[in-house]
Amino acid sequence: MITLQHYLLVSAALFSLGLLGVLTRRNAVNILMGIELILNSANVNLVAFSRFGTGNLQGQLFAVFVIVIAASEVAVALAIVLTLYRLRRTPNVDEADLLRG
Amino acid sequence: MNELLESLRRFHPEITLTAGLLLVVLLDASGIKARDALCRILSAATLVLALLLCVPLYEAGWSGELFGGMLALDPMAVFFKVILIAASLLIALAFGSSRELLGLGQGEFHSLLLAVTVSNLLLASANDLAMLYLALEMVSITSYVMVAYIKGDRLSNEASLKYVLFGAVSTGTMLYGLSLLYGMTGTTSLQGIREALATGFPEQNRFAVYLVTFLVFAGFGFKTAAVPFHFWCPDVYQGAPTPVTAFLSVAPKAAGFAIMLRFFLRGMSTAGPGAWELDATVNWPVLLMLISAVTMTVGNVAALTQTNMKRLLAYSSIAHAGYIMMGVVALSENGARSMMIYLAAYLFMNLGAFLVVTLVHYQDGTFDLRDYAGLWRRAPGLTLAMAIFLFSLMGIPPLVGFMGKLYVFAAIVEKGQAYYWYAVVAAVNAAVAAYYYARVLRTMIIDPELEPKPLLRLSFADASWVSFFVLANVLPLLWWSHIDGWARASLTLFAGR
Repeated sequence: MITLQHYLLVSAALFSLGLLGVLTRRNAVNILMGIELILNSANVNLVAFSRFGTGNLQGQLFAVFVIVIAASEVAVALAIVLTLYRLRRTPNVDEADLLRG
Repeated sequence: MNELLESLRRFHPEITLTAGLLLVVLLDASGIKARDALCRILSAATLVLALLLCVPLYEAGWSGELFGGMLALDPMAVFFKVILIAASLLIALAFGSSRELLGLGQGEFHSLLLAVTVSNLLLASANDLAMLYLALEMVSITSYVMVAYIKGDRLSNEASLKYVLFGAVSTGTMLYGLSLLYGMTGTTSLQGIREALATGFPEQNRFAVYLVTFLVFAGFGFKTAAVPFHFWCPDVYQGAPTPVTAFLSVAPKAAGFAIMLRFFLRGMSTAGPGAWELDATVNWPVLLMLISAVTMTVGNVAALTQTNMKRLLAYSSIAHAGYIMMGVVALSENGARSMMIYLAAYLFMNLGAFLVVTLVHYQDGTFDLRDYAGLWRRAPGLTLAMAIFLFSLMGIPPLVGFMGKLYVFAAIVEKGQAYYWYAVVAAVNAAVAAYYYARVLRTMIIDPELEPKPLLRLSFADASWVSFFVLANVLPLLWWSHIDGWARASLTLFAGR
């Protein structure tokens, strides 16, 4: 029997993996994948709470909006990463180091 | 249906801005020769119209929910609408002479500006977790594009890359917190959250509530540049085109504070008699007090050694975020009022300082503080104006910055002895801040020039805008009772249905 706790564990694992990916990866595209994991962990939470816990549909509605936001955010982020690649011939974020101090 | 029509009737500023945004996009795509100038005029006209449409909302003084509880309209939301639209309007009008934006299409800039303005208004009046998150992301995503506006420029690109990665992680963390908050309380409306929290939580779940509050704060902290979510701020402010930097330092910050106030006062406190009372479940003022004290200290100490004007002002804006947060921590009507007045004052002093930076860059092509040496000889008027903006940021009477500081300090001190250490930290910080603002003054007035440069001449339009900002910093004290009365009348935060 799959309960709410299982879903919460999966989402917590997804969130942690996403955060780990963001903090350890150098390639901007990999970082974006980590961000997707973070957003989707919240989606799992929202839908699971809506199904098991609260008994209303607000969570599922919220999750649909989050999917839309995630898509538009990644579109903008990829455009910026592409510009980075055009300007410096590298997708690695640690080589973008002109601004410091 | 009736509710929808009723809501639309109270939604005029946002509708105007959206229509203006679409018109600017169409106009920009039309291929008319003078489209850059027309776009600028159209966007300024839209903003003026939206500002005028806020007047009936203020006079009606109505407060309630719009669109099935997604948004709230109350006098405080109207106050923030006015500040946010005014910030965009000043950017559209006063920052015309920017060297960085020369030769780039103005239509896209103004459509982005209007898009951020609409989303700022939505953020400031969000009444539901879903709306809050949507509006916050809408502000963020459009500002990422604005920061990346100079396409071939490495600094602009790097700034936007850092902004988008940091922002996506912060807002993602906030979303995770919001999902847990939904699970704990069973609702996404702020009203429902307040009711669920007021009925109390089992003692063992307290830690979870604090953790969730901190996770949610990640989003607010990112928007307002509060420690530990401030790392993007100096890099983004330095790399972005200066008009965009000036905009980011006032408008999204004000919207972030508006939603912070609404979330904590509306969702996590109960409405007491006259003021707000702390909810028993989560003692968030302590959390915010620590964050705010660290924020102002980090901002001011890091600003001491900066040599780039934009970076210096970025750290100064982090420090100011710390002072403004004092108004939320106070959890009282005076606290909310002090925050509103501080944000209104901050609009004029910070935009003024950034305008001077833009104009110096227009002539000399530099943001380096060392190149400001000898500015007094080359442009005495501009130096005097900058001195007034810096004194205002310092908090010297009788400028508006002083009134802002006076109100936040008063709101904290009246809370009693437990808050005294906090007021002392803020006061010491204000003294530290005076040092680096004075350093800029010394460089401009006393330091000798590195190489002789020609006199710095301003166009009539630029000179008038600088004088406008100077007057906006000096004169409000004469009509202070009106401004205070306006803020006092705007203190109603919609609570309960």
